[in-house]
Amino acid sequence: MAVTDRALPVRGVTLADAWRSFRTAIGLGWAIESNWSDPFLFAIYTMAKPLAAAGILVVMFQVITQGQGNEFLQFLIVGSALWNVVFGVMSGLVQSILEDRERYRMMKYVVVTPSSLFPFLLGRSLARVLLSFVAVVLTMAVGVVFLGVELRPNVLYLVPATLIGVLAVIALGVFMAGWCLQLRQEAWHYPEAIAGALYLVSGAIFPIDVLPNALHPIAYASPTTWWLEASRRGLLGHGSPGALGGLSDGTVMLLLIASTAVAIPLALAAFAWFMRRARQAGLLDMVTGS
Amino acid sequence: MSRYGSVTATSPQEAAEWSTGRVVRSNLRAVVGRAYPRIIGLTREPSWLFFEIVLPFLAVSAFVFVYRALEAPEEFIGFVVLGGAMTAFWLNVVWMMAAQFYWEKDQGNLELYFTAPMHLMSVLAGMAIGGLVMTSSRALAVIGIGSLLYGVTYDIEQPILLAGVFLLTMIPLYGMGMLFASLFLLWGREAFHLAELLQEPIYFLGGVNFPLARLPGAVVGAVMATLPLGVGLDAMRQLAFSSSGVEGVLPVSLEIAILAIMGVLFLIAARMALGYLEHLARREGRLTLRWQ
Repeated sequence: MAVTDRALPVRGVTLADAWRSFRTAIGLGWAIESNWSDPFLFAIYTMAKPLAAAGILVVMFQVITQGQGNEFLQFLIVGSALWNVVFGVMSGLVQSILEDRERYRMMKYVVVTPSSLFPFLLGRSLARVLLSFVAVVLTMAVGVVFLGVELRPNVLYLVPATLIGVLAVIALGVFMAGWCLQLRQEAWHYPEAIAGALYLVSGAIFPIDVLPNALHPIAYASPTTWWLEASRRGLLGHGSPGALGGLSDGTVMLLLIASTAVAIPLALAAFAWFMRRARQAGLLDMVTGS
Repeated sequence: MSRYGSVTATSPQEAAEWSTGRVVRSNLRAVVGRAYPRIIGLTREPSWLFFEIVLPFLAVSAFVFVYRALEAPEEFIGFVVLGGAMTAFWLNVVWMMAAQFYWEKDQGNLELYFTAPMHLMSVLAGMAIGGLVMTSSRALAVIGIGSLLYGVTYDIEQPILLAGVFLLTMIPLYGMGMLFASLFLLWGREAFHLAELLQEPIYFLGGVNFPLARLPGAVVGAVMATLPLGVGLDAMRQLAFSSSGVEGVLPVSLEIAILAIMGVLFLIAARMALGYLEHLARREGRLTLRWQ
């Protein structure tokens, strides 16, 4: 039977509890992601995947333009590099929660500890998030060294854009994690599906002007669109080709802040609701055999 | 005493002596039994159908829009759509062939396979046939939707040859999946990383989104010698877009010969790897341990 009410009042989760959970979960997440693998294979895996993804776009660009139009190539490289973070955060959060429920069957034990699931979840997925930043650095380095990408970093713009953007992406990941807790076997596909859909509408590898008009409102509402645009300005010193490029730096930053400010409370409220529903419906220890 | 059909064995030795016909029938039943859930799953789990069409389609769409942004000739859109359809088969080979024995071990089914009176190649053949049928529906959907939505026009002068090349590509492709099934199991916990590693790098090396001939010669040579996805896709593009002047790596006839040789080699290699796996399973007993 699902338990929804506590028999006795509890003192609540303190900051120290949350920190301890977060720290322990980081170690666990890192162990699962890396230490259980052969280091050589793990290094290849970490490097090959993002580089190949960028390589596909570079060859496509070279085939069509014969290397002309370096500005578009820079747009492609930066978008492809940064997208690793979106995918890393979303898949990290969702797969952590699904692995702990379905594979290692630890979710129910984590939930019944005095700590909250939330800091555990963030810590557990941090390894993948950090690895995604390694992928960003690698891809950018290859772009600069071999492909003539010219970085003109504006730190004062880039740092806040990165912080706010990553918060927005984590909010999307938290929402997805809560949602996937409600689902059956197809849950494993959701991060890929949602990240794939966002990849399409966020102007990651092509200007959003190319999209059909019906998809423009979704593109403009997504914080990932504004994070990518702000990051391009912070890294390259100029924006994307097309309509977004015509906006001022201040407008782009303002839209990034506004969309993130909407996304974070919505994601937290949704996660709390999803957790409550999971407790009521007994979904925390559900095993779907997937 | 054991009964088989109308015959009752009078001793355990007699019961263990199976006729060739009985061995063949048992293995055919294993093939059908393993293919069945994948084929019947087409109707039982419609959400999978949705995801397995939508995921390749999203990727196809992203690359189509990149080509549109670059104002590429229209045949490149067709290359991407065809590549996206073949991606569905590759994903099936990686996740539902190569990684399958590892999942089976995690779920406790692998020991049943080893103890059942059948050859493991029958299980792999069943997985391959079921996967091929299941994925064909996804690939057709990607081609159909992609072609309609993005206005792809094909110029197929030899449709039978095209169908033949497609089927011939599937033999080494799924043979490779059979080989990887044993290898992934031997490599244990790396299975997930390996499966991930076999996606974008293979899409890049296989020329899924661009003509393979545009890669450096050494890379193309390595692909032609080892990767049936790249060889098959290159041949199919030459046959599906014949008037576009598409630049193939080799003439189609030569690529057909390469695919045929690959098919034989991968099946033999898969058979040998399974033999080694079975030997390990009996000697060390660790292949039935979960999460190892």
